Amino acid sequence: MNRTLLIARREYAAYAKTVGFWLSLLALPLFAVLGGGVGFLAGSSETTRVIAVVEDGPQAVGLAAAVRSALAEDGARRARNEREAVEAVSRTTGGLGGPAAQDAASSVSRERVRIVETPAAIGTAAPGTAQETAARDYLAADRPKADQIDAVVFLTREGGRPGARIWTSRATDDRVETFVTAALKSANRKSVLEAAGIDAGIVDRTEAFDPDVTAFSPKSVTGGEISFRDRAPVFIGLGAGFLLWSLIITGASILLNSVMEEKSNKILEVLLSSASATEILAGKVLGVALLTLTVMAAWGGMGAAALISFAPERAVDVGQILLSGGMLAYFALFMAGGYLMYAVLFAAIGAFCETPRDAQTLMGPIMMILVVPLLVMQLALRTPDAPVVQIMSWIPLFTPFLMIARLPSEPPLIEVIGSMAGMFAFALLMVWIAGRAFRAGALSDVKLSWKSFATAIRGGGK
Amino acid sequence: MAAALTLDGVSKRYGDFQAVKDLSFQVEKGTICGFLGPNGAGKTSTIRMILGLQAVTSGQIGILGADDGRKVRDRIGFLPEERGLYKKMTPVDAIAFFGSLKGLPIGEGRRRAKEMLDAQGLGASKRKKMKELSKGMAQKVQLIASVVHRPEFVILDEPFSGLDPVNQQGLEAVIRGLAADGATVLFSTHVMQHAERLCDKVVLLARGQKAFEGTVTEARATSKRFLELEGAIEAVQAAALPGVSGVEIVSEIDGVRVLKAALGQGGKGQEALKAAFLGGLDVRRFELREPSLHDAFIGLTGDNPDQDQSVKPARAESAR
Repeated sequence: MNRTLLIARREYAAYAKTVGFWLSLLALPLFAVLGGGVGFLAGSSETTRVIAVVEDGPQAVGLAAAVRSALAEDGARRARNEREAVEAVSRTTGGLGGPAAQDAASSVSRERVRIVETPAAIGTAAPGTAQETAARDYLAADRPKADQIDAVVFLTREGGRPGARIWTSRATDDRVETFVTAALKSANRKSVLEAAGIDAGIVDRTEAFDPDVTAFSPKSVTGGEISFRDRAPVFIGLGAGFLLWSLIITGASILLNSVMEEKSNKILEVLLSSASATEILAGKVLGVALLTLTVMAAWGGMGAAALISFAPERAVDVGQILLSGGMLAYFALFMAGGYLMYAVLFAAIGAFCETPRDAQTLMGPIMMILVVPLLVMQLALRTPDAPVVQIMSWIPLFTPFLMIARLPSEPPLIEVIGSMAGMFAFALLMVWIAGRAFRAGALSDVKLSWKSFATAIRGGGK
Repeated sequence: MAAALTLDGVSKRYGDFQAVKDLSFQVEKGTICGFLGPNGAGKTSTIRMILGLQAVTSGQIGILGADDGRKVRDRIGFLPEERGLYKKMTPVDAIAFFGSLKGLPIGEGRRRAKEMLDAQGLGASKRKKMKELSKGMAQKVQLIASVVHRPEFVILDEPFSGLDPVNQQGLEAVIRGLAADGATVLFSTHVMQHAERLCDKVVLLARGQKAFEGTVTEARATSKRFLELEGAIEAVQAAALPGVSGVEIVSEIDGVRVLKAALGQGGKGQEALKAAFLGGLDVRRFELREPSLHDAFIGLTGDNPDQDQSVKPARAESAR
């Protein structure tokens, strides 16, 4: 086996045998599950706000009924959404998971606000200040759970305009406020329309109307209605872009630390007596690349398995997108170029450093450069042909991230090929520069700085 | 005897700093050559040039018939001055890995590693991680890693540094064994006793320049025999003794001096001792000393090899 492969194999084994590697391998899917679980738990554990509504004076008569009506409409809308969600899950899973989906949807979509009878202490108090004092005392006092309420809403109408004063036990919670605002808006709309002579039944039907909107595009897969299949590229592009970014950060950091360890442990000099600097650099870059490929394969495999299990139709769509127009090949090439550019640079920096602190001088600016594509990538997804995105796609350091994000939106071929050529030309330049710096840094005892790095590049292997 | 290594007018310059200047010497096949000099004399730079890790500024190097150490790196074993191995690897894995880089199949490397570790008394540590070994043990492992592929030429840069006396003795035996097996050994050191016991030949380096090349006996012969006198004796009194060509005061406490009196050509210790007694000198200790390599070194270079000769400037050395 040649030396490059031997070094690559050692590099791979050194990390693949560690517990940390397997933890990081499982971290993403674990966090994905945990993230979803936490979101679900947060939604399902949200308690129902119990409120009492009081019409403040004769001019407010009818507002309580309007608020109750709005609450009933909200409940009906939730029930409809819940039914549709369960049907969608049943469709995609072929009937599997129906009961579980029903439970999940029910727990997430249950009522957020419930109106109860106004407590006698408040209802019997004289309107105005006495009633508000009673409400405040009621909310402040410790009461048995069955008697507890979260807010008392005093509904008002001044100058014909509905309004409310809300006394709440939770100063930081605006849920009741939001609900009452929406209910009163609706009540006002109804009363205005009815005052204009429109039939109350018509107003109610208008309020309850939920439009069925369907989007079409000549560029959609079917040439007509836009479906998940048409929108999936955006998510795939975003996912691939972030995946590349995280892999480059992870892979390059592994390389940096690995070279630093060899430098500080004085192993580099022994290696250099057995292999050339180019073989060492190539071996390390290759070994870490194989490591990141393992991570990608594992994550990709787990993602594919989950998609095929829970949404086989979506899996087919995703598969078709990835396999169409050489998309996978483009992904692979942009990932290879991106990794190569940053990996050799990080390895060269590592050759000058014995501690992470030594590396900070150069790592700061590089990390700042790496943040830029993260910001632009989101714009690239929404508007892949925005001028700023197009221009930045031609900057080699940003090309892999932005082009991967744009690829599913099918940018002009000239941009894909041109930016890729530029990226690889720049990657080769980086290999040349980093190779010289690595050779110089490996036996150097100078402290890393921009000046020493530049001097090393100029001096190369002399 | 054919030369395994030849340096011809080799110089190395780092910016304004001249590390090695016009260095020429050769090492014959199958011999042990000591590459001597104080810290900072240019030994490590020379070794790196021999290995091809650094380019020469001028001059030529020939090693095992090649004009560049990199062309014959598989036939060379190298133990650097600053040592280290992968901390999380076991000794067997580390030795087999470095052997494999020199063309030794991994399986054979592992087999030899176990054998050599056993021979060095490290059999019980084969499965431990490097970070669990003591410094002395780790140095032994690194030495094994540098010779596991049975190189024809072994370069050891300060191999004795950091070792206790017992391990130093063990290492001397290993070096003798390598030479007995036909390998050529070049080792650098600033401790002359090791060279004195081991070397067929020594090359003395001072301030980047060769100060001497020859056998240990030849090196010693460059220095004068001397008398060591102790007592209430004035330096001028010692200088007046027959055969004495120069006197140096080594120490003086309460009027009692230790004097080092060099004997000139044909000078005899017995005559000087007789004259001292006849002259009534207060001689409390008298010793006739043959010059050591250490003395020869001081005589040849004017430097004490135990002390740093120069402060190394921070410099960018480049691997090739």
